[in-house]
Amino acid sequence: MASKSATVSSFVQSAPPGELSNVVEDIKALAPDEVRSLEPAFKKYNEEQYSTVKLPGSSEAVLISAYNTLNGGRYFDSISQKSFETASNAQSHTPDTRHADIVRSLLKSFSAAATEHFPSSRFGVFPTDSDSSIAILLVANKYSPQNFWNGRWRSTYLLDPTNNSVTGTIKVDVHYYEDGNVRMSTNKKVEMSGSSPDEIVREIAKAENKFQEALNRAFSTLAEGSFKGLRRQLPVTRQRVEWEKIAGYRLGQDIGGGRSK
Amino acid sequence: MDPFDAALDLLRRLPPSSTQQNLNGIIALRPDLEEDLLSSVDVALTSKRCTKTGRDFLCCDYNRDDSSYRSPWSNEFEPPIEAEAAADLIPGGRIRRMEESLNAGVDVYRELYYEGGISSAYLWALEEGFAGVVLFKKTSSAGGSAGKGGWDSIHVLEVSEAAGKRSAHYKLTSTVILDLGLSSSTVDSLELAGNLTRQTESDLGLTHSGSRESDIEQSHVVNIGRMVEDMETRMRNLLQEVYFGKAKDVVGDLRSIQPLSEVGRERDAHKEVISKMGR
Repeated sequence: MASKSATVSSFVQSAPPGELSNVVEDIKALAPDEVRSLEPAFKKYNEEQYSTVKLPGSSEAVLISAYNTLNGGRYFDSISQKSFETASNAQSHTPDTRHADIVRSLLKSFSAAATEHFPSSRFGVFPTDSDSSIAILLVANKYSPQNFWNGRWRSTYLLDPTNNSVTGTIKVDVHYYEDGNVRMSTNKKVEMSGSSPDEIVREIAKAENKFQEALNRAFSTLAEGSFKGLRRQLPVTRQRVEWEKIAGYRLGQDIGGGRSK
Repeated sequence: MDPFDAALDLLRRLPPSSTQQNLNGIIALRPDLEEDLLSSVDVALTSKRCTKTGRDFLCCDYNRDDSSYRSPWSNEFEPPIEAEAAADLIPGGRIRRMEESLNAGVDVYRELYYEGGISSAYLWALEEGFAGVVLFKKTSSAGGSAGKGGWDSIHVLEVSEAAGKRSAHYKLTSTVILDLGLSSSTVDSLELAGNLTRQTESDLGLTHSGSRESDIEQSHVVNIGRMVEDMETRMRNLLQEVYFGKAKDVVGDLRSIQPLSEVGRERDAHKEVISKMGR
């Protein structure tokens, strides 16, 4: 049996987009003593979900990830050239990287491309701490709690500047909860290459389009296949059950054959 | 916030595919909530083979005593329980007659709509009237890129007969647990899992030819059967809307395949055409 703090941490990790505060309220009511132990869980959640933070004096929010962490619980932002501790104590910071030019170009190209496909999103480009690759991250959120749904798209790409190859994953998470609880989650690993920042950004958009089209087809596959195979809309007779007729039957009478599966 | 409400809220937010683990986790945090939670939270149904009749039946809290379950086909607990407990828990007379009839009826319904799967119905007497649960379970497993799925329905009903026994009031609370998933070369994995709950109530007539008790019992089976059929059909449509409509729409809201500048241009051109038509 997992420890109490492991249990509440797992609740935080699996909180749906836009509902972390609701989950924390529930944890407070169930196990108030365990709330103190949640700091590491929050950090992990923020870094995995690409939570965004508005720095003072800045109009754009910056995203938090494992790729832009510094020591001492701080993060850095390539756009504003600042380091910060989740919105406080922002200081000037220039990442120590050989790829500063590439980072700048990617930021520019990606900014234009992101607005072409995402009505609302935040992205970041960060040299990773071994400086052997550049991380390109994007998070797009749509929250509609008054309609009982929330969604999040996260793209993660790692560029190897020595051979122009890019590997990445796309993750989408949707939660619908009106008189129920429905969760959609999907992910896809992608690979591509590009010899210039512009080309890389174009290839990313192509891969994301391809994935989104495949995802839409997958919805149809499930609707026409697995879903239909569970329960028909109407019996083969195209008529509803005649309950008057069958209500008088007793067990043991061989009615419709009846498989045991 | 009341801890029980917090537990239910939490289970409505965390991934439905891990409801059982999360339920166990919450009970470990608050053992005092165990009984209430186990009787109010719906989880996927398990089945057992009735050794007497060779037929499968579904297991839930309502046909359980400790770790034994009562088969609706043989009306016996498996493994067997103490005679004293059995006397309390095994229905007889009117309740058992209706239960047998209801099981026979939903068995036909199951074959017509599910073309397979398992069904079970359990009834018990209340101080006034009676209550019951009707259960269905079906899986489809083409697997891989064709996908897999599981459907569990849990219909809980409460019936109270009017004084003259010419009609009865039926309350139905239905939950469908639906899990779908696929994995292919173009989408590494897609999981759509969840449950929806709906409620309905109605007053329905009981046939009364010569006030034969068996007619009344039959009427209950007919009324319950129809309500369950109506509710399941409604919920199937609702699930289709939510799973394949809403979820898909939200993805489209997050990202547009068509460049947004094009979408904007098309919308403006469309507006112009409409306004020109108005002149």
